[in-house]
Amino acid sequence: MFLRSVFVAGTMLGGLLNSAYAAPTTVTDVTGREVTVEVPAKRIILGEGRQIYLLGVLQREAPFANVVGWREDLSQADPDSYAAYAEKFPELKDLPTFGGFKDGTFDVEQAAALKPDLVLMNLESKAATEDAGYDDKLAQLGIPIVYVDFREDPMANSVKSMEIMGKLTGHEDRAKEYVEFVDQQMKRVTDVLAKAEFTRPKVFVDRAGGYTDDCCLTFGNGNFGEYVEIAGGQNIAKDIVPGTFGTLNPEQIIASNPDQVIVTGGNWEAYVLGGAWVGVGPGADMTAAHAKLKALSERTAMTGITAVKTGEIHAIWHQFYDNPYYFVAVQRLATWLQPQLFADLDPEATLKELHERFLPVSYRPGYWVSLND
Amino acid sequence: MTDTAVGEQGRGFYRALVLRRQLILLGLALALALSVCVDLALGPARYSLGQVVEALLYPGSVDDQVRVIMWEIRMPVALMAVVVGASLSIAGAQMQTILNNPLASPFTLGISAGAGFGAALALAFGVALVPFSVEYIIPVNAFIMAMLTSLAIYGLSLRQGVGSETIVLLGIALVFIFNALMSLIQFFASQQAVAAVVFWTMGSLTKATWPKLWITLTLLAISAPLLARRGWQLTAMRLGDAKAESMGVRPRALRLEVLVIVSLLASISVSFVGTIGFIGLVGPHIARMLLGEDQRFLLPGAALSGALILSAGSILSKTIIPGTVIPIGIVTSLVGIPFFLYLILNRRAASW
Repeated sequence: MFLRSVFVAGTMLGGLLNSAYAAPTTVTDVTGREVTVEVPAKRIILGEGRQIYLLGVLQREAPFANVVGWREDLSQADPDSYAAYAEKFPELKDLPTFGGFKDGTFDVEQAAALKPDLVLMNLESKAATEDAGYDDKLAQLGIPIVYVDFREDPMANSVKSMEIMGKLTGHEDRAKEYVEFVDQQMKRVTDVLAKAEFTRPKVFVDRAGGYTDDCCLTFGNGNFGEYVEIAGGQNIAKDIVPGTFGTLNPEQIIASNPDQVIVTGGNWEAYVLGGAWVGVGPGADMTAAHAKLKALSERTAMTGITAVKTGEIHAIWHQFYDNPYYFVAVQRLATWLQPQLFADLDPEATLKELHERFLPVSYRPGYWVSLND
Repeated sequence: MTDTAVGEQGRGFYRALVLRRQLILLGLALALALSVCVDLALGPARYSLGQVVEALLYPGSVDDQVRVIMWEIRMPVALMAVVVGASLSIAGAQMQTILNNPLASPFTLGISAGAGFGAALALAFGVALVPFSVEYIIPVNAFIMAMLTSLAIYGLSLRQGVGSETIVLLGIALVFIFNALMSLIQFFASQQAVAAVVFWTMGSLTKATWPKLWITLTLLAISAPLLARRGWQLTAMRLGDAKAESMGVRPRALRLEVLVIVSLLASISVSFVGTIGFIGLVGPHIARMLLGEDQRFLLPGAALSGALILSAGSILSKTIIPGTVIPIGIVTSLVGIPFFLYLILNRRAASW
């Protein structure tokens, strides 16, 4: 505790020294707006709590040191990560929180009272923010808004957002190091597939399988659907579901006869008590997860499909879908879909390295499980 | 003209009328049968008609996948469409009758909204209104809230000076309350849960299973005869409370009895398939336009027309975008409303 206080004090002192050199810098955010900000920004408001995923990489020892307020959505959306962060950085519980959990419920008056240098907003809240005129109001107070994104289009925007945030916080080197790591990890999949001759197994992505009685939610040509294609599979819903999210007729799954089924899961005990969902995620109970995955494979919609006969049914942490650590999911999918090509790829090692080199919280296993395990 | 001649003429007219109505009912029944057959024959797994018939007649002798698709996927959905369509339509018809108001339906009286609120509580926060019901938490929650809504409406209607117009207003007030509570839940819930709540409120037949079908069917089979027994009294109710009373009907008691039966019908249906608001309003109106007020024809007519709309909706919901199923509530409204508008704009005599 003492050491941490010393460290926090040290960072703050460093910040004070740095602030002597604070200079207006223009950054281009993910929407293409040019915003001028005094960097490094010392007082930041997180328009969405999950932005700590990125900030944690940049300020590993004290991710909340420069955060003066945030939207309280992390505890709801990703309770496991929230618990891990709260354990290590109990000060996060004292941070002022903003409004509800929905976009556009941001309280401008409260934000202004905190005198931030910068408000970081997520891309998906742009419409609501501009609709309510918050951007104009904050501009009149001289508070810039910068939009980042790691949820709408994680593949394209996570890396860009990391670079923007690195610039804003004065940790450009750290951001660069991380971006290089991500590129290198993605290349371990894409480079191999670019050179190889392979057949794409048919894959059914069971989005949040077991979360509702309805079978079956899935991804179209985005998100996990996209990950599957990048990892060398063929998403059966690609030509059926028009957007990113959709529902398949259970009969379609039997008719398509997928070779593999990927169930996304997470700890949804707070929503569906004792539901059929597969509770994978950091520190998950793997025996329970395996049993639930087995139960899901016995649903009507899975009757007689190849994946059930071969046991190629896997569950993976649902939160990878809107998370800057998506490359780990892509690697894991690649090893499932093309085991011969990726015999030497170890996604668990990647995830461990990510935690050891970049993240403020330590690695806990449990992000995936296979029926054949 | 002599009295006998008038009598003969009247009898002839009445016989022709009854015959015509019987033929309309027969036509509706045939259309429904055809619709169910088409519903069973169509699907993304393109089986030939021969395979379909074989799987239906000899489930033991066909491939496992064919059997499962026919008996576990297509059949419960196709039959659930019929049973839920009939239940909601009967419920709507009798609500309109006892409240003497063309706007009454499970939807406008707040029963659907109450069910939606119960389901949303379960979907967003995992709140079980009955502690031991974890496995069926969503339908049980929906059912309890729907029944509470009906009881509230009934309780308030017992107060002195509350007429049938007031009951409809009470229902509309309840709809607003539940909508506000629903928005509140969505405001606090996670993205994932909001998506689930929104999807639930669109209504979907893919949730159908055999046990759910049997429960709904049993209730329909019990309540239809109970309502048919009150047939002439209900017909008399349409003349107004005072006239009905002069014919020996006790309007308050009858209203209570019917309200309880139709609340059960609507609540069970809605809690299993989600909000399908349109059927309960339009099914009975179509039946009334085709068959008139006489309960002997209105009751089966409403059941058949409701079942037909939902069955046709079920076919469309899976064929508009092959491979996916568009929520049935959306389809029935989009397809049924133009038809309904055609009927009300072209009818000759006003029934209200």
